[in-house]
Amino acid sequence: MKGRKVWVVFLVALLALLVAACQPKEVVKTVVVTKEVKEEVVVTKEVEVVKTVEVEVEKAKGACAPQSFDELPKDKDGNPIIKIGVPIPLSAPGSVTGGQAMQIAANIAVDHINSKGGVMGKYKVDVVFYDTSGLPERGRAGAEYLITQECVNAIAGEYHSAAGLQEKEVAHKYGILAVFAETWNDKITAAQYPEVFRIAPASSMVAEADAKFFKDMGVQWVAIVAENTDYGVPASEATKERLAKYGIESEIYLAEQGTPDFAALVSRIVEAVQNKEGKKGVLVLITGETSYNFEQQAVDGGLAPAEDLIFVANQVAANHAEFWANVPDGNYMAFRRVGVVPALTADNPVAQKFIEDYKKATKDPDRFPESYAFEMYDSLMLVVAAIEKAQSLKTEDLIKALESFNSRENGYQGAQGIYYFLYGTQNPVPEGVPEWMWHQWPDPAILFLQYTEQGQSVNDACVIWPDAYKTCDYQYP
Amino acid sequence: MEWLIAEACGSFPYLLRLILEGLLIGVIYSLMALGLTLIFSVLNIVSFSHGEFYMIGGYVVYTVLHHFKQVPGLVAVFLAAVVTFLIGAVFERLFLQPMAKGQVDRPNEYAILVTFGLAFVLQFVMLGLMGPFPKKVPRFFSFPEIDLGFLRTTRTTLFLGKIPLPGSRIFAAIIALIALGAMLYFMYRTWTGWALQAVSQDRNAAAVVGINPLNMNTLAFALGGMLAGLAGAVLVSVFSWVPWVGVPASAKSFVIIVLGGMGSIPGSLVGGLILGVVESLGTGCWPNPATAQAYRDVFGLVIFALVLLVKPTGLFGRKL
Repeated sequence: MKGRKVWVVFLVALLALLVAACQPKEVVKTVVVTKEVKEEVVVTKEVEVVKTVEVEVEKAKGACAPQSFDELPKDKDGNPIIKIGVPIPLSAPGSVTGGQAMQIAANIAVDHINSKGGVMGKYKVDVVFYDTSGLPERGRAGAEYLITQECVNAIAGEYHSAAGLQEKEVAHKYGILAVFAETWNDKITAAQYPEVFRIAPASSMVAEADAKFFKDMGVQWVAIVAENTDYGVPASEATKERLAKYGIESEIYLAEQGTPDFAALVSRIVEAVQNKEGKKGVLVLITGETSYNFEQQAVDGGLAPAEDLIFVANQVAANHAEFWANVPDGNYMAFRRVGVVPALTADNPVAQKFIEDYKKATKDPDRFPESYAFEMYDSLMLVVAAIEKAQSLKTEDLIKALESFNSRENGYQGAQGIYYFLYGTQNPVPEGVPEWMWHQWPDPAILFLQYTEQGQSVNDACVIWPDAYKTCDYQYP
Repeated sequence: MEWLIAEACGSFPYLLRLILEGLLIGVIYSLMALGLTLIFSVLNIVSFSHGEFYMIGGYVVYTVLHHFKQVPGLVAVFLAAVVTFLIGAVFERLFLQPMAKGQVDRPNEYAILVTFGLAFVLQFVMLGLMGPFPKKVPRFFSFPEIDLGFLRTTRTTLFLGKIPLPGSRIFAAIIALIALGAMLYFMYRTWTGWALQAVSQDRNAAAVVGINPLNMNTLAFALGGMLAGLAGAVLVSVFSWVPWVGVPASAKSFVIIVLGGMGSIPGSLVGGLILGVVESLGTGCWPNPATAQAYRDVFGLVIFALVLLVKPTGLFGRKL
């Protein structure tokens, strides 16, 4: 018995040590540059400063994408087809809501391309979907599968940064073009891979908008509730840093994706809010369905709505039917909308056509496409535009074609706006400009909207920020 | 004392709130774990499909209330109990009885595989039927808005002084308590309950006195599934429901029955409450707010490991 007690004390001490060891620490940033050489020996060395160096490399063997139009595979009718890989989350713990919307958008894009005869009027497009579940390992496996088994010429899509970060590595390894649709992690483009482009905002761009929003609303303290992933952690840290720049205090609360029960966390935030002076804010950086659980439980737990608190729900709140089914008491919640709102699409025929077909495909005449649906559609269209401009299937030609969209005037008109990329292989990111601006679309619109009535359509939600698009002031209960 | 609480976990009302919230969810954990305990003690197998019965219970309530909006929530909960009971009974008759009759080689492995198989089948059938999008039912009832000073209510929340308690959870916990009470009455005050206990203690002796162990197996598995289904049925108004919602719930049940003692009914009741309170206090009081929620499951597992070290049979388990 005595011996057992000693063991218990020992194990408790060991557990305490383990827990203590798991506390976050300041990490010294190092950058790892990986080069691939002809003998396929990978040389890895750690350096202190990132330098953009153009290195001629031979890509890993295994990619089987056709390099000329003559090599294209044929469909069952004997017509040549261009395959494009679309990795998206279609099962938990990924955002199925986001993935399904992107799948619908991708199918619409294919219909639009093929109804005009295909790429260059003669090559039909076929998309190959891969369910990544939002997981890094599935993202990597999916990209490997699409590139080495399905022989795709490009990858377009992805919703979760955790998966996207792995996919970009695989795309780079095999030298296959990847246009990321909805992955926000700065590192997606900060790695400065020639093959990687992004039309979603970087986390830092969104963090800046979030911080400005709270500053303009007069908020003095913000609870940042973020998912414990490659998206949530850096996004919450970037937001905290920018809030501090504006003199706003904040606290980060991380939660695992897929968590159903937030009662204790809500209690914790309520306790913190009660002990703070002035106006407070809550910002939800948990993606997908998990965010609904937190948001409704925030209402049930007495956190929101409140007279001195601005509650910013996750962007999936834009899917109003699902939001109201899961967060029936979500009136007075604001949410960030990345991308266009109906008023900004009126003069854009590409957007109008997509919106019309999206409403038909979802059988919801009130459903305005979510930002990730727009981005999925546009990322596929961009790949096709690159092929048409390059008149080639070779990745280096496609990169050059996309880089030729280098200003608003020279840009490509998509459903969401005019796409262009300021920095790339022809025009490296200069000093003083963030590294993630590499192959990054610089103009995504970031708006804040608010539901003021239960069951309200997203089309009727107020635009509360920025002032340029504002339709009404933030309404408190 | 006040200083100690303040140092450890903020104010006393905050601590009380965390404990109450832990107890509310703990009652439902107990209900679910009781089902698993019943199955283990009578059939001597661990059901890996327990979480899927929980998931089915929620979906039955959703389907009933979605298609028949006038049906009261309690009726839908009752129907969920009936459906999960029937699924459990049919499955046990078809797939587990051959094992009990000695018609299966390697029965232990068979039980694991067949219950895992059921879990996958149920998950993917529901994925096909209901889709991957989260579903939820409206609150079963809303509070009238009253203000009596210390006791105040809004539509969604009951305030005891400064302590807000979610109405939907209170309602879920009350139904779970009623179900637990009914189940305990059944187990300890009825002949069938005694028969189940007799089979769990000694199958052969029970058979000698006229109890059919095969029928008791069916009843135990059906009741176990029904209790999980009830837990899901009451929580579908609290959490968003997806086909894989049962996976974490199932994991918690395993923790509880080992914590309380394999096969012990009081153990599963107490274990559920302990797990609920520990998770709540851990999340609410962990010094680093950034990691508190992310470590939620860890707090329960630490207690679990400690109990196993001190008392390997669990809190109320029989001596090995």
